[in-house]
Amino acid sequence: MNLIRYGEKFFDELEIQIVRRREVSAKAELNQISSASSSDLSMAVIRGVKDRKVGISIVDSDDPRRIEVGIERAYKLSRLSDRDDNWPGFPDKQRYKDVDNEILEDVDSDYFVNRLTIALKDISTRKPDAIVVGAEAGAIWTSSRVMNSNGIDVEQSDSLSLFDLVMMGRYGDVVTPSIFDMELRKDYNLNTDAVIDSCLKKLDYARVVKRANKENAVVILEPFALAEILQFALYPAFSGERKVKGTSLLSKRIGERVMSEKITIADDPFHDMSVSKIIADDEGVATRRNVLVDNGIFKGFLWNNYWAHVAGVESTGNGTRSFKSGAMGIGAHNMVMENGKRSIDDIIADIDHGYIATSFQGAHSSNPDTGAISVVANPAFVIDNGEIVGSTVFMLSGNIYDLMSKVVEVSGDMRPVFMMGRGVYPHVVIDSAGIAPVSR
Amino acid sequence: MDIHEAVRYGEKLGADYVEIRYENLLKNHIELRDGVFHTLAERESQGYAVRVLARGAWGFSTTNKDLRRAVEDATNLAISSSRAIRERIELAETEVVRDRVRSKMKIKPGDVGFDEKVAHVRKMESLLKEKEYVKSAQIKYEDATGIKMLVTSEGTEIEWDVNYLLQYIWVTGMDGDARGAARNMVGNVDLGWELFDMYPPERIAEGLHKKLYNQMHGVPVKRGEFPIVAGPIIVGIIAHEALGHLAEADLTVNSPFRDLIGKKIAPEFVSMSDRIVERGFGNNIYDDEGVRVRDVKIIENGILKEIMLNREYARKLGMRPNGHARAEDYSYPPIIRMRNTVFERGDHSFEELIEDIKFGYYLVDFRGGQAELNSSFQVGVQEGYVIENGEVKDPIKDTSISGIAIESLKNIEAVGKDFDIEYGICGKGQSAFVSSGGPHMKFMRSIVVGGEE
Repeated sequence: MNLIRYGEKFFDELEIQIVRRREVSAKAELNQISSASSSDLSMAVIRGVKDRKVGISIVDSDDPRRIEVGIERAYKLSRLSDRDDNWPGFPDKQRYKDVDNEILEDVDSDYFVNRLTIALKDISTRKPDAIVVGAEAGAIWTSSRVMNSNGIDVEQSDSLSLFDLVMMGRYGDVVTPSIFDMELRKDYNLNTDAVIDSCLKKLDYARVVKRANKENAVVILEPFALAEILQFALYPAFSGERKVKGTSLLSKRIGERVMSEKITIADDPFHDMSVSKIIADDEGVATRRNVLVDNGIFKGFLWNNYWAHVAGVESTGNGTRSFKSGAMGIGAHNMVMENGKRSIDDIIADIDHGYIATSFQGAHSSNPDTGAISVVANPAFVIDNGEIVGSTVFMLSGNIYDLMSKVVEVSGDMRPVFMMGRGVYPHVVIDSAGIAPVSR
Repeated sequence: MDIHEAVRYGEKLGADYVEIRYENLLKNHIELRDGVFHTLAERESQGYAVRVLARGAWGFSTTNKDLRRAVEDATNLAISSSRAIRERIELAETEVVRDRVRSKMKIKPGDVGFDEKVAHVRKMESLLKEKEYVKSAQIKYEDATGIKMLVTSEGTEIEWDVNYLLQYIWVTGMDGDARGAARNMVGNVDLGWELFDMYPPERIAEGLHKKLYNQMHGVPVKRGEFPIVAGPIIVGIIAHEALGHLAEADLTVNSPFRDLIGKKIAPEFVSMSDRIVERGFGNNIYDDEGVRVRDVKIIENGILKEIMLNREYARKLGMRPNGHARAEDYSYPPIIRMRNTVFERGDHSFEELIEDIKFGYYLVDFRGGQAELNSSFQVGVQEGYVIENGEVKDPIKDTSISGIAIESLKNIEAVGKDFDIEYGICGKGQSAFVSSGGPHMKFMRSIVVGGEE
């Protein structure tokens, strides 16, 4: 807190977040180990307020002397800012949930090189013509400490191990799309077999290319595809800032049905399947489970400290900082869509004709202000008479709210997803989604 | 330990090749959203990237703390991965360079006061909000000034005077029940503050107002395959997403392009390059391996000729490196990236391109795009119009287009004689400043439009 005291010489109040991140990993390319890498980086973000004017400074260091220089820079910038009469003051002391984020022991790169070598050997034995476009095995350790002049001083550490795999195949004229899967764990028991099984199975399906029809069809979204499209087209509408400005399509719809009753979505930083539990947001506000959609009914917005104050509500512990620009925004910690009952295999077995989208091209070009989507499902697979019979590419167009209203089933199985934000997702089955073939 | 000592230390530890990049930049960030500064920040970005080739394998370490430790880590990492490597990685020969790269900017961002930048952003917001239907405006401004150094064990030593600036705007419109959103981005590494003489706030605001209004009052798009005339911005993003990525050597080896080098893949009036262009956001003299940047003629008169390379892939493929190894910053190793990807001019006027289209779409501006190894591409469209009986008619709502690049290429019907470029940030695990562009072009088939109808 000495740095806070130093900063109080300049500011009425200030906040400092110090983030440290270490990584070690081995990578493979074109079916062989290509490199190993490590990183050891620290960063501090200073946000200070003088006369209700905010200035921010970021230094690529956790060295107290450099942070002091950063404090002085932030002060100079605050003089150029506008007085903000809505400034609420930094959050007060909080009580945090007691969670146990076990920290992985340090291992060196040999461990991951060996894991990756075994995985590559397994792939080449099982499917000699499969191409490993890229693979990585590694571990990440992070810590974040948030301090402010109102007495907040919260530090949380976390670590995880990961294995990801991108494969493809070339069979005569057929070049398959890249097939991706990954696993994240709190320990080193990475189930590389499961990831390899999943990729090889899809690679088999991808050998047979089918042309999609221009039709309204049953479409299953796999967890990765679902996470991608919700992240860009739907989740921005949960922002309290957009509610205040009236630009969220959900602005006046609390308590109304906004999607299928099969859907329940919550931001749950403590979910059992979450790889890490988050006790405080980037402003030091204690996190909590926030239900956003309950059986299709919209329940409420996510708030950081500033916009909650403007709206006259409390922060939901969703202040998320851009470590590039220092800007404080609103974001989810761990979006969870609750699961249904039947396994995805049972669901597929009951479909006469339909498609499975495993990933979308262009989810980021969705329009979060209108919910308009126009994305390409690739790789996608065709279901006929309850079986996957080949791969295809199709365009899915419409509006995310219409699409989510057409969800007729949610699978019982679900998995953690680490893609543009963390989450836990099942498969969803959409009835009558408008698609168009992308010729091949 | 200074950077030269660190290179020698890496060699002493057993490295066959050591490459160290050092960056020390001061960045400015301003973000104004509806009258509230969400950030007004300076960022001091300073650290080292150490890349080592030892016993035929790469080791990479990045740090903003301890250079000596990073050299030890990178060398140990390379030796560790070399135990599992089947085919040793080797590097293509390249000229040893000792140079200092000076900025071409007339007014560098560091020479402009922060208060002037704040005033610029405020003016931008005020112009955008002149239209009542602009419900929300987000303006992000970012710049950097500083140095980057590259020192290698081969003797290359380059120091860059690094400067860039960029501005990104997102506006949300509401007019009755109609909603729309539009984006604009300008950025440069060669033009400094004078960039805003070329793109004055008034012009940017006017363009965004038009896009927004058209989206809110546009007609819905029909879903399916239609004749398309694409403007330079859309043509550029097709060049980048659909074809450029496939011509990045690390992706080419797994893409349909692998077996097509030297073959005809498009009509003979089609040429496409990744090259230095005036105002190009991807311009540079050397890449992050110290290789001089060369123009790459990806498609020349319909023939797939060259691909973009780093030293590793150049050696692997028996080609000459062409300066396309780029790293976002010191926390990343360099990978193969595009710079400015453009279709070259043809000889048709715009009127000639649309005159025989009974029904189709004229697509002008994009919002995001993505490519896949099987050459499938997707491009989001934020400005477009219906073409009916050879005339440009109503504006359209949000949509996107998609196709299989190697099929779409064959169906280019005609190429315009104009030329323009757009600025963007490409993501491939790390981001890179790029430009893309070209003339107007006409596709009669093979592009699918994603509409709700």
